[in-house]
Amino acid sequence: MNITLNGVSRQISSPPLTPLLRVLRNELNVVSAKAGCEAGGCGACTVLVDGRPQRSCLTAVGSLNGAAVTTLEGLGTSENLSAVQQAFVHHYAAQCGFCTPGMVVAATAYLDAGGSDDKEAIQEALGGHVCRCTGYLKIVNAIAAAATQSEFDLTITAEEPNVVVKTGGR
Amino acid sequence: MSIDVLIPESVDAAAEAYGDGRDVTVVGGGTIVVQLMTQGWLRPTRALMLSKAGLSYVRKSGSAVTVGAMTPVTDVADLFAPLGPCAANVGDNEIRAQATVGGNLCAPTPPEHPSGDLQGPLLALDASVRSTGAGGESTETVEEFLTHRDARLVLDLSFEEPVAGAFAALDRPHAHHPTALAVSAVKAGDGSIRLAATGAGPTAIRLSSAEAAADDPEAAGQAALADADLQDDALASAWYRERMLPLLVQRVLNEIKEV
Amino acid sequence: MKAVGARLPRYDGVGHVTGQTQFVDDVRVREMLWAKALRSPHHHAAITRMDTSKAEAMPGVEAVITHADVPLLEYGHLSALGIPADEPLLAKDEVRYKGQPIALVAAEDADTARAGVEAIEIDYEERPTLFDVRKAFDDDAPTVHRWGNWYPHFEGEMDRRQIRKGNIEEAFEAADTIVSGVYRPAAIEHAPLETQVSMVVPEPDGRLTVYSCTQALYFSLGVMAAHLQVPLNRLKVVGGTVGGGFGGKVDTASETVTALAAMKANRPVKWRWTREEEFLASSTRAPWHMEIIDAVTSDGWILGRKMLTLHDSGAYARFSPYGLTKHSFHHTGAYTIPNLHFDGYVVFTNRVPTTAMRGFGVTSVSFATETHMSRIADVLGLDPFEVRLKNANRINDTSPNMITYPDPSTVDVVLSIAEATDHSLDDAYMSMSRAQRSGDMLPEHLAAQIGEGHEHASLHALVHGVDNDSEGN
Ligand SMILES: Cc1cc2nc3c(=O)[nH]c(=O)nc-3n(C[C@H](O)[C@H](O)[C@H](O)COP(=O)(O)OP(=O)(O)OC[C@H]3O[C@@H](n4cnc5c(N)ncnc54)[C@H](O)[C@@H]3O)c2cc1C
Ligand code: FES
Ligand code: FES
Repeated sequence: MNITLNGVSRQISSPPLTPLLRVLRNELNVVSAKAGCEAGGCGACTVLVDGRPQRSCLTAVGSLNGAAVTTLEGLGTSENLSAVQQAFVHHYAAQCGFCTPGMVVAATAYLDAGGSDDKEAIQEALGGHVCRCTGYLKIVNAIAAAATQSEFDLTITAEEPNVVVKTGGR
Repeated sequence: MSIDVLIPESVDAAAEAYGDGRDVTVVGGGTIVVQLMTQGWLRPTRALMLSKAGLSYVRKSGSAVTVGAMTPVTDVADLFAPLGPCAANVGDNEIRAQATVGGNLCAPTPPEHPSGDLQGPLLALDASVRSTGAGGESTETVEEFLTHRDARLVLDLSFEEPVAGAFAALDRPHAHHPTALAVSAVKAGDGSIRLAATGAGPTAIRLSSAEAAADDPEAAGQAALADADLQDDALASAWYRERMLPLLVQRVLNEIKEV
Repeated sequence: MKAVGARLPRYDGVGHVTGQTQFVDDVRVREMLWAKALRSPHHHAAITRMDTSKAEAMPGVEAVITHADVPLLEYGHLSALGIPADEPLLAKDEVRYKGQPIALVAAEDADTARAGVEAIEIDYEERPTLFDVRKAFDDDAPTVHRWGNWYPHFEGEMDRRQIRKGNIEEAFEAADTIVSGVYRPAAIEHAPLETQVSMVVPEPDGRLTVYSCTQALYFSLGVMAAHLQVPLNRLKVVGGTVGGGFGGKVDTASETVTALAAMKANRPVKWRWTREEEFLASSTRAPWHMEIIDAVTSDGWILGRKMLTLHDSGAYARFSPYGLTKHSFHHTGAYTIPNLHFDGYVVFTNRVPTTAMRGFGVTSVSFATETHMSRIADVLGLDPFEVRLKNANRINDTSPNMITYPDPSTVDVVLSIAEATDHSLDDAYMSMSRAQRSGDMLPEHLAAQIGEGHEHASLHALVHGVDNDSEGN
């Protein structure tokens, strides 16, 4: 079977009942979606299936033949961050970063579907996503900001910073 | 440990693949079965995936409604009470979009708490279930179906839009907190009232004694206790449910009275 | 100081939002095996028989690790502080909590590893359990630990952490009222989004590369080297990217056993706990039982405090003696009480061992002391802010363990809360500062405790050797 992963057609050889999360991580080596619970409870594994957010840990890959799957890797790169990604950095919405892939994916789907900066609506849309670090406020603020703004200033504002911003992997 | 997986592309093919249902694990939306397999608690030898079987639809004709087994819970969330509000109260945004109505009706009862929230409204609506399996296709009431649901493949559910309906549940502290107790009420065209509860037994139950006393909501609330088998579990104690059930019954009865 | 006051992006922010941050589970190596653990299904039981031969013979199973494979079975995390070892890396003849690891199976995939675990034959003989710290001291209580039901190895082989300061009898004789309270905060699971995970890669030069989610990398290094009985330079521990810890990743939870499996199979091995295992078997914040009895005056001075603390350590000691020590130093909260009689016990139960979480040992006592301050005000019919401000730590007041506070901020904090909540106070309180006590704020009972300079009690120095950074987020 086949899926289109982040715009590229990929052959899948895992058995059809394999959860999409394991196919992504173990067969295709695309690891942004995280295994926080593998039981639908945390949201860290969320990816877009035909543009809609879905728990990859609960999705048997056999149901996806021909579908378009988008992971965090498909939403923006360190050189070309999306508005949601920029807002998450600017508003410190990613602390340990483990929930972040699911949060950014779900937030992107929310805004793509016409979601506004209404904070209650944002909370409702992301109500299934657990973050243990931030207390959620920064995440909601970031999404609200991304709803109204397309660019964020990510530069360091101290004159001679002694902190180097790392972009890209390690 | 290779598993025989069938992905039929029509209702007929699904019925044929299911056969008499022996040793077949049905995968609907997968929100329950996939995690059971991941944890190793469910090890199917044959699986039937319904994703392409053409069972996702909501058909309306006059006051009659038919919902395909593979219809996502989201798609019934804007229907009338009690089904609509109950569906809107299931899990979170993403779970509702993946979870199916058929899967909810067939949700296994885990040891830690009851599940299958939609069973209550469907029972109150006196929905009929069209299913297939040994002996071929058949149609029966939800009430009958719930007594032997392991051996059937659900195709769709049909029910009438009621004159009035109401749904009341204990508040959930978080989208992933299952509903500890909920009551559904339906008033039919002839004025008769049907009541059902989820969280008051391993599957949803009909509250017949409460129905008989429905004219007096307070008395009906007390009568409901005779219908229920309230248990302690991870969500709530029997003690707490005992105090809440009469209140929820009163609330839904008062609501449909106003109509 | 260019960074202070400036808006600095997180150094790892861009990596997090693009999915490029590499957590342990994201590291890819070839030929990796997956591990699954056999864990105790009982809260307390003897292991009467164990046979791993069927698991070992299964196709796809590459290593089965039990206690017999561990060079040094018991090692204490805080051996450096003189806290002796009591916990086997893998259970040998007894299990003391549900979820305690007994064996690890490494196999080609997770399902095979799980099948291997199920193929281990094991017999248990269940033993009586203890879950309530208050019952640990009863004559008929079951014995749950080989040292008895409470930790007996404080300095001088004392069986408790004890603080005596001033003259407690006189304080109670002088009191107008006695205010007592019992405070029992429950256990809390840290529930980090990333469950416990490690991957160990045997390198061609004989070293092991250890990828760990630990938040205490040097603990992991030392603890592993001790159990494995290898020099430190055989271990290269790669850490630094923690998917949430909050104290729960201080314990060296998984990497040592994973390393043994990797050494035995001579292949990389990953052991990632399921969410269920995380809730069942990862350490939690301790439940505490605290009893406070205060000698107070009608105008709101606390003359003396008697306190009993039972710290539920779970089945083994781990860091609890240290946590209780910190707790004891803070048992007056942010307030100065000159006469003290504190006894604290580290109590063993058949629960999962407990550990650090956000202010190890101190959060519990802050909860108790702050609640108790309000209770005192309530009993006396006084303003809770005023009772706090009176007894608040001031410059050169001394702590329970005889530290002189050089610059305590209690007064400022209480005043700013009053301001934030629009709580009106008399001018005498509004104008209060942290300056050394004098006048009305220096009643007779507080005169003798005022210290000079910074005397560090030796115990404090000892404990503070490991205080920094070992339990941060
Ligand atoms: C985070 C989370 C939150 C949840 N919250 C709720 C909640 O609030 N309320 C609630 O009720 N449930 C909840 N659930 C449980 C579950 O999502 C729902 O019950 C859902 O409707 C199940 O449908 P499914 O299609 O995903 O089921 P599946 O997992 O596909 O199947 C469930 C069971 O039904 C059987 N089955 C599925 N379809 C059919 C069919 N057509 N014919 C015969 N048998 C079939 C399967 O074999 C299986 O035994 C939650 C689940 C998660 C993960
Ligand atoms: S890993 Fe899928 S929801 Fe947690
Ligand atoms: S940032 Fe750590 S869980 Fe959300």
